[in-house]
Amino acid sequence: MKLLIIEDEEGLRESIEEYFTGDGSICETAATYADAISKIELYRYDCILLDITLPGGSGISILKKLKDNHYTDGVLIISAKNSLDDRLDGLNLGADDYLVKPFHLSELKARVSAIIRRKMYNGSNLLVFNEITIDLQAKTVSVLDKPLKFTRKEFALLIYFIANKGKVVSKNAIAEHLWGDGIDLADNFDFIYSHIKNIRKKLIEAGANDYIHAAYGMGYKFAGQ
Amino acid sequence: MKLLTLYNRVNIITTIIVMLITGIIYYQAISWILNDQNDKALKVEENEVFDYVNLNKKLPQEFESKDQQISFTEVAPNSVNREFINTDYHRDKNEYESGRGLISSVTVNGKYYKILIVESKVETEDLIQIIFGITFGVILLLLLVLLIANRLILNRLWQPFHTILKEMKLFNITDSQEIAQTTTRIDEFTELNQAATTMTNKARHDYRDLKTFTENASHELLTPIAVINSKLDTLIQTEDFSEQQSKLLTDLYSAVARLSRLNQSLLLLVKIENRLLTDQQTINLKELVQELLTQLEDIFSDKQIEIKTNLENKEIMGNQYLIEILLNNLIINAVRHNHPHGEIIISLTPQSLSVKNTGSNTPLQDDKIFNRFHKSDKSEGSGLGLTISKQICENMGWQLNYQHVSPHHSFTIVF
Repeated sequence: MKLLIIEDEEGLRESIEEYFTGDGSICETAATYADAISKIELYRYDCILLDITLPGGSGISILKKLKDNHYTDGVLIISAKNSLDDRLDGLNLGADDYLVKPFHLSELKARVSAIIRRKMYNGSNLLVFNEITIDLQAKTVSVLDKPLKFTRKEFALLIYFIANKGKVVSKNAIAEHLWGDGIDLADNFDFIYSHIKNIRKKLIEAGANDYIHAAYGMGYKFAGQ
Repeated sequence: MKLLTLYNRVNIITTIIVMLITGIIYYQAISWILNDQNDKALKVEENEVFDYVNLNKKLPQEFESKDQQISFTEVAPNSVNREFINTDYHRDKNEYESGRGLISSVTVNGKYYKILIVESKVETEDLIQIIFGITFGVILLLLLVLLIANRLILNRLWQPFHTILKEMKLFNITDSQEIAQTTTRIDEFTELNQAATTMTNKARHDYRDLKTFTENASHELLTPIAVINSKLDTLIQTEDFSEQQSKLLTDLYSAVARLSRLNQSLLLLVKIENRLLTDQQTINLKELVQELLTQLEDIFSDKQIEIKTNLENKEIMGNQYLIEILLNNLIINAVRHNHPHGEIIISLTPQSLSVKNTGSNTPLQDDKIFNRFHKSDKSEGSGLGLTISKQICENMGWQLNYQHVSPHHSFTIVF
């Protein structure tokens, strides 16, 4: 997939670029409003990561320009402005999603994957990963055509892992994904472990490979390919 | 003590003292003048006796008129000193009145006689009493009138003061309403009014500055936190960490997560205080509580906490986002301060919503728990959760109360 990262903060832009590059994805970046405008006029992207506050202009104007030209690029707004008005403005103007800074790169990846999946919707709404098939509409998981019983959180976690396959995902990121970042649960992530144990057990018992591995006690990794 | 009371008290005491002194002097003066009158009359009478003796070479008859008695007594020669005395006046047999007398002497045909002329002082004293009474009455009346007038006038004069005071009591730093201008002709009050207005405006301005500062500071922190977060996420992708390194990374993640939550809480608090989250919708609290409990059920089972609910239907109008934060805060607090195998009881009635939890046996300090950054020693929260909850309740016009009835700590929202 082809991405455009519009973000003026160098550190953040580089991290995002590094996280998304590889895995068959191509990333381009723009640090200013003018830079971004010239890029979107020339090329089409699967998804554009759009910061709102940019030197030289507002991300909202870039979004308007995209929509005025009827470009169908997916747009994910990443902004430090955590106000509902901004969120609604962005979504009303046709952005696909809105993510507030600070965020985990794994969360960003999961959101981008979801946007791209929706864009490439071909009627089936199936997410297939090797022997695992996930029906996003019916919220069911099957391995080798054998249906499995997944709870709501296990289902969300599996999709999250697949979107971040090959990457180490921290426990903090998982907790925030499952329970929301508003929930201040301090440092006790034991309950994540039981979810992961369940997912592994169900997948292995159904005949799938053991994809999920603990990574140095700070997170988990869903082995790729 | 009220100003008027103090003023009146000083006024009355001074008036009474001055009146007493004046009264004594006044009485003495009148007495002296009237005594002098009496004495003159007595001297006239004495002279008449002398004239009569000179002319007739014998004593006049002892006589008694309406207010005068003259008597003669033969005494040893030169034994009498001429003097004025205060004595009794015999009106009838057993009736005495106060009187003024003159003792004098006269020699008739070689015999020495003491003359006693006594005059009744009843009329004089009546006169003194009347004069004194009238004067005293007038002064009392004057005093009474002054008191009433003072009360009325002062009350009226102080009216602007009370108006200004009332305005100041109603002053709320978060409101934008100004202190009303009180129209008064009295310079002092006009000045007070101006000072109050200036002061409140300044307080409000400073408060707004502080809030803006908090908001800006929190906002500016977001980007660096986002950078740290993303760099950490990138760092853990590089392979092969020793146990020590991964422990360090885990600690870093926790610290950044805390920093980020703290920052979000501060921003949220500013937004709630500024009433920036205004969109309202109908919320079914029963459904919302159930939804949140489902969301958190794995956390409850991990901590082996039993949840008991007693939920009636209750619908409110409010901001979904804020109400979720409020309920989440209360429930998460009940989890965090609970002990393993503890319980949480949530009851919702049309009047109130209460969250009770088991926990430590000591009650919390209910005057401090809603303060910013107040937290118990062991708490790992941001110290803003209850402040935010309280502020949300205030915005909604609800009350948030804390109570400890062993073994439960309970937080109750009264709608």
